[in-house]
Amino acid sequence: MLTDSNRKLIENPHFKLLSFLVSSARGCVDEPVLYGSLRLIDAAARLMDIMEEEGLINDDLIRLRELIKEKMNLIMHDEASFVEFLDYISQELARIVKKANSERTN
Amino acid sequence: MTSQLPDRAKIVLEVIKGRRSIRDFHDGEIPDEHLRLILEAGIWAPSGSNLQPWEFVLVKDRNLLEKIKLFSPGLFGRPATIIIICINRKISERAGKIGELMSLMDISMAAENIMLMAYALGIGSCPVASFNKIAVKELLDLPAHVEPALIITLGYPKELPKPPKRRSLEEVVHVDRF
Repeated sequence: MLTDSNRKLIENPHFKLLSFLVSSARGCVDEPVLYGSLRLIDAAARLMDIMEEEGLINDDLIRLRELIKEKMNLIMHDEASFVEFLDYISQELARIVKKANSERTN
Repeated sequence: MTSQLPDRAKIVLEVIKGRRSIRDFHDGEIPDEHLRLILEAGIWAPSGSNLQPWEFVLVKDRNLLEKIKLFSPGLFGRPATIIIICINRKISERAGKIGELMSLMDISMAAENIMLMAYALGIGSCPVASFNKIAVKELLDLPAHVEPALIITLGYPKELPKPPKRRSLEEVVHVDRF
């Protein structure tokens, strides 16, 4: 039987991310090298889900998250495009940071 | 019977080529009779020395499924149910040293049967090897000699992905010599 506190724990989005990270840490030992990148970018999208629930996300990040969810499966059939997609996400994140910085100084 | 063969072959090829790995599912329960057919397809797979070292754990309980998802980075979407294909080591070791490899081949063939039958019933599936075996073993109370090897997700597909690239026959088939 699940106690209320146990139920709360396993439904907690932070705990879900924690379990994902621990399982991925073990999985990456045996999996293809690029799967490490897949798990990290997947974790980034999951983290943005949590940020949304907590009201800490903006439209730029929502777009980025949707792009990650749409494109991360590229790894299954086109590794080169998957790496290009990671480059693109990195650049977009930098643009978001740059924009935030300029908004603050203006 | 021979005259029926081309039609049968056509259907088999359509099912084999039509199956996709589905990672996004609609909500919707799979009827028990369909689950039974899917599992029946699994047990009719070929098996080395006819040992049939497989065990199938069908997870329908949503709460348990969510717990397994916590430890399964390779499991995407919200499948209606999952089948965890396990290897019974007490059975596979009867095949001697080759038993370990042979049991993997056996469960792989069972998995393909399962996924093809699911597709034939309009149900999407995806084989998932990326899950934490120790955690899943604990969650399912599996005995020490039963090892979870592969998860098959099952559910109604939101969309059918395009066919992935295949290495051509010319590239992979070698007649008489490599």
